[in-house]
Amino acid sequence: MGTRFVGRPGAAGVAVGPVWRYAAGGVGDGRAPLTAGARATTGAPAGAGAADPGGVVHAAAEEAARQLEALAGRVRDLGREDEAGIFEAQAMMATDPELVDAAAELALAGEEPASAVRAAAAAAAATLAALPDELLAARAADVRDVGERIARILLGEDVALPEVPSVAIADDLPPSVAAEIPPGLLLGVALEGGSVTAHAVILARGFGIPAIVGAKGLMAAAQSATAVALDGGTGEIVLDPDAGEAAEFATRAAALAESRRAAAGLRGRPCATADGERVVLLANIGSPEDAPRAIELGAEGVGLFRTEFLFMKRQTAPTETEQVAGYRAAFQAFGPDRPVVVRLADIGGDKALPYLNLPAEANPFLGVRAIRLAAAGSRELLLTQLRAVWRAAGLAGVTPHVMAPMVATLADAQLLLDLRDEARAAAAVTAGSAGDQMPEKMVTGVMVEIPSAAILAPELARMVDFFSIGTNDLTQYTMAADRGNPALAHLQDALHPAVLQLIRMVVAGADEAGIPVAVCGELGGDPVGALVLVGLGVDELSADAGSLDTVRAALAGVTRAELTDLAARALAATDAETVRSLARDLLK
Amino acid sequence: MQVAELEVHNKSGLHARPAATFVKTAAGFRSKVTIENLTRGTNPANAKSLLAVLGCGVEQGHLVRVSAEGEDEEAAIGAVRALAEGGFGEAVPG
Repeated sequence: MGTRFVGRPGAAGVAVGPVWRYAAGGVGDGRAPLTAGARATTGAPAGAGAADPGGVVHAAAEEAARQLEALAGRVRDLGREDEAGIFEAQAMMATDPELVDAAAELALAGEEPASAVRAAAAAAAATLAALPDELLAARAADVRDVGERIARILLGEDVALPEVPSVAIADDLPPSVAAEIPPGLLLGVALEGGSVTAHAVILARGFGIPAIVGAKGLMAAAQSATAVALDGGTGEIVLDPDAGEAAEFATRAAALAESRRAAAGLRGRPCATADGERVVLLANIGSPEDAPRAIELGAEGVGLFRTEFLFMKRQTAPTETEQVAGYRAAFQAFGPDRPVVVRLADIGGDKALPYLNLPAEANPFLGVRAIRLAAAGSRELLLTQLRAVWRAAGLAGVTPHVMAPMVATLADAQLLLDLRDEARAAAAVTAGSAGDQMPEKMVTGVMVEIPSAAILAPELARMVDFFSIGTNDLTQYTMAADRGNPALAHLQDALHPAVLQLIRMVVAGADEAGIPVAVCGELGGDPVGALVLVGLGVDELSADAGSLDTVRAALAGVTRAELTDLAARALAATDAETVRSLARDLLK
Repeated sequence: MQVAELEVHNKSGLHARPAATFVKTAAGFRSKVTIENLTRGTNPANAKSLLAVLGCGVEQGHLVRVSAEGEDEEAAIGAVRALAEGGFGEAVPG
């Protein structure tokens, strides 16, 4: 018998496979850090003693290059040629004489090897970023990333990625690490900490692999484990399963694959309840590259196009031209019949973007971010983005859809409308002189994430064209519980009746004004959540494309009357667990 | 010393893959190899360093001077010329 744990279900799926442990600040497989005493393989001056900082830098750089080449090979085997090219270029940078010699020199002059590498990488990145060519800005980010990798190796914080398909076991899996594991090598995720909105969980849902969070004692027990079985639907984890247990999980995996096949069979048809009430199913995307998968999985459009990819990892704000290219690519991929809702950049004090010049804040998620930037000296940032959306939609021949996050008041909504109209006037001039089309209108909505926006829904609904509820943030702000703090997991459940009451208020306000309500938070991608939301009167659900099949299948199995009854009982329930079990009963 | 002046015809100039191909070629010789972007007026940069070559900011239509000095300088310049004629491994428009 293996050792059993039960955590909170994060993403559905069943996996059995080898264990890959990740510990923050330490090496996954227990390798020792490269210290100044470690023998350098190259670049060491003749007769160097045990303490040879220059040689240590060279050795770490070679290790980084080796990792990057291996990574390039793995993603190439998965058919992702573009990414392979980036990793190959990074491998060359890792052993580039300009970078490594400069770092080694600094280290020999007494700088800590890791900070020497970071400084040399920053200098090289600054040189590239200063060139007039926009494309080189991305290369500047690549150099910094390479510097970070070498620094991690030097500090012993190196992450040895799994080399065979494995289940990740960790306290928490930071996005930088999770994103680096090629999808084919990640079978599932089991976290001792974390929350169901952790990035690793969202990633797992996207890949259709199981994720479980909050499994107390898992890390200590997993120290000696070699294999693990997990069921992301129930939260069960078995370390070193015996033959019988492994077979049982394999049976569950087969049954799940079968029901997923059946659900995939519904893909071509419009999503509707058993008695024919339509529900619009949309995808959340983070870049235009996500489009083909979303379309393949039956998305009727995009309910949330996150635009932060254009704003991160750079020294200067993205230009209008750069943004036009990004939005146009997405608009063209989805075409005129699948609307794409662009979310204005949700950026602020939690990420230090050098071009924003924002002071550090004690509570950045309660601070100057998103639409609030307009009143804090960054009005032009929002205007540029809106102009780019107007232009891109005109060039792609589609009607643009935009929504603003962090809207708290009627004044915020009015500001959005004013910015939109101001941007239109400017974009029309550019389009006119280039002889390009301009769209007639921009469908403009606000996100409901702040309780004040839910309370003001009747008034807001008369101003805008649609609402989109961000359930993760609405829950965080309603419960005053940081969504990233695992100690508050019990307050992070969007199915809590308090949150559902607010959603009901939003729907009531929208119905009065005759505008649609979408949900673009994680709750909409969970079959249980989808039933409750549609029961409450939500019209559109937007989730990671990987969730659409199961949501479509869940809705096809229930009637409007059953959902309305579920919503009434959910609103009257005392806690989220009761709501969940009510919805689960209906799913059966 | 051997020198070649070349116009870069391929679409992305000496960025991304063409730059990597150029650096790998230069690094295959023992001679010291440098590159200058004459259009932009840069100083000679180490052609065996991807960062240095990217730093020259060579775009389509730019004129560059590649110099090699050492025992295999002729072979090095020959290889660079052949590479440039092939568009650094990237399609050349028109």
